Amino acid sequence: MRAGLHSSRLAAGLFAATLLLGADFDWDLPPGFPRPVVPPDNPMSAAKVELGRYLFYDKRMSVNGKSSCGTCHRQDLAFTDGKPRAVGTTGETHPRRSMSLINVAYAPYLTWANGTLTSLEEQALVPMLGTTPVELGLLGHENEFLARVAADPLYRRLFPQAFPGEHDPYTLRNVTRAIAAFERSIVSMRSPYDRYRWYGDTRALSEEAKRGEIVFSSGELGRCFRCHGGWNFAPVRFAQAAPRERAESTGGDFFNTGATVYPPPNRGLFEHTGRDADIGKFRVPSLRNIAVIKPYMHDGSIPTLEAVVDHYVAGGKYPHPNQSAIIRPLTLSARDKQDLIAFLQSLTDQEALTDPRWSDPWWGRL
Amino acid sequence: MARWTMLTLLAATLATLASAQDAVPSVQVTGAVKQPLTLTAESLAKMPRATVKTTSRGIETAYEGVWLTDILRQAGVPQGEQLRGRALAGYVLAQAQDGYQVVFSLAELDPSFVDGGVLLADTANGKPLFGEQGRFRLIAPHDKPGARSLRLLTRLEVVSLRN
Repeated sequence: MRAGLHSSRLAAGLFAATLLLGADFDWDLPPGFPRPVVPPDNPMSAAKVELGRYLFYDKRMSVNGKSSCGTCHRQDLAFTDGKPRAVGTTGETHPRRSMSLINVAYAPYLTWANGTLTSLEEQALVPMLGTTPVELGLLGHENEFLARVAADPLYRRLFPQAFPGEHDPYTLRNVTRAIAAFERSIVSMRSPYDRYRWYGDTRALSEEAKRGEIVFSSGELGRCFRCHGGWNFAPVRFAQAAPRERAESTGGDFFNTGATVYPPPNRGLFEHTGRDADIGKFRVPSLRNIAVIKPYMHDGSIPTLEAVVDHYVAGGKYPHPNQSAIIRPLTLSARDKQDLIAFLQSLTDQEALTDPRWSDPWWGRL
Repeated sequence: MARWTMLTLLAATLATLASAQDAVPSVQVTGAVKQPLTLTAESLAKMPRATVKTTSRGIETAYEGVWLTDILRQAGVPQGEQLRGRALAGYVLAQAQDGYQVVFSLAELDPSFVDGGVLLADTANGKPLFGEQGRFRLIAPHDKPGARSLRLLTRLEVVSLRN
């Protein structure tokens, strides 16, 4: 009996240790949902995600100690910052607003308009080392930062756990791998709409929101699903994708919606391709948590959800030769618009905005 | 007198509204048919059932319902050997609650012409359809885009261009 108790305690201890240190990270996805793509050279582990969380919120990663990734990606705002355009640690204003990181693991492309940036590990280098604009301003200070990390008692525990067996785990590559793993862990499917649509909770949505779902999905009314279709309300890539689905996700993921006149340097995909046909084309962001991700559009130029709906009802504000044929005037009644907004508000996952797994571990310490 | 008339009208209006709200969801099969049909979940359950699995953005769904060819046969629309000559200039106009419409020719719904078919679905993964899908929808599994897999289905109108 005692031996049995002892062995069960041992097993429980080993299980806990595995959870803390091991490679068995679990997203706890609802049944039937696809897994995110994980690069073979950066497998998920609980220890790596936890290290990434500390790094994500560590202001020592900026040149002046004032900003971290979490400065522009606040959890309570669905990992955005509430500003029309992001502001770097030295005060430089970014041309575009910060994007939500919730379900970023499923995004076929990263940032607003770069058809070649698909790796979270590579993307992490942009805010760290980028100079146009300066975000964290770490370029030229990488070694100082890594030396600080290597001297920190907490990181001296977390890095070896995340990258076991490495003689010197305190590298920029491992910093980006850990941050990417943390970002990849931020997966949410727990909004009222999810409960209604996937879990059979018919009372999770108001009648207005239920009607709004029909407006959203109707080819005659809102037509929103044409760009924001599917369970993530945006194009997705996922681990089990068939070749055809992978091919589909590389097609129409960037659209010109006639939202602005697209002045430089905000000409969308054009900034990378130089093709006139790409002027004004920006990535379709997910609409999950859209009610807390204001102001809207790539440049934060539309302040409210109501104004966004009006923009699409009008068929765009600034006609452009590249404007998508999907964007054309809609016939929506005042009630249709209210219902549509009620539906969009039902996409907020309040738990994700406070989930301790993704919260700032330095709170009150840095 | 006028007061009673008003009250009677009001009661009749309320009764109509209540009746509309309580109405059993259905699909009307009309037009160039020998036997118009009113299909409900109950009547569809008594017809030959079929399942079509679809995958959308990584989520697999098993839709269950009745092939349109079986519904058209019950409505007396020419099928198989009878689907020849003038009858081939016929089509089904599917209409949705929101006004959306799509068309299928009779031949492309007939297994003697084309393998596969179009399903009138009333359940997904064993549960009744609801919300943006409506109580009934079409699943066109052999179409590449989903544009003809019409949701919120309310009517199937058979049209013959050459009577």
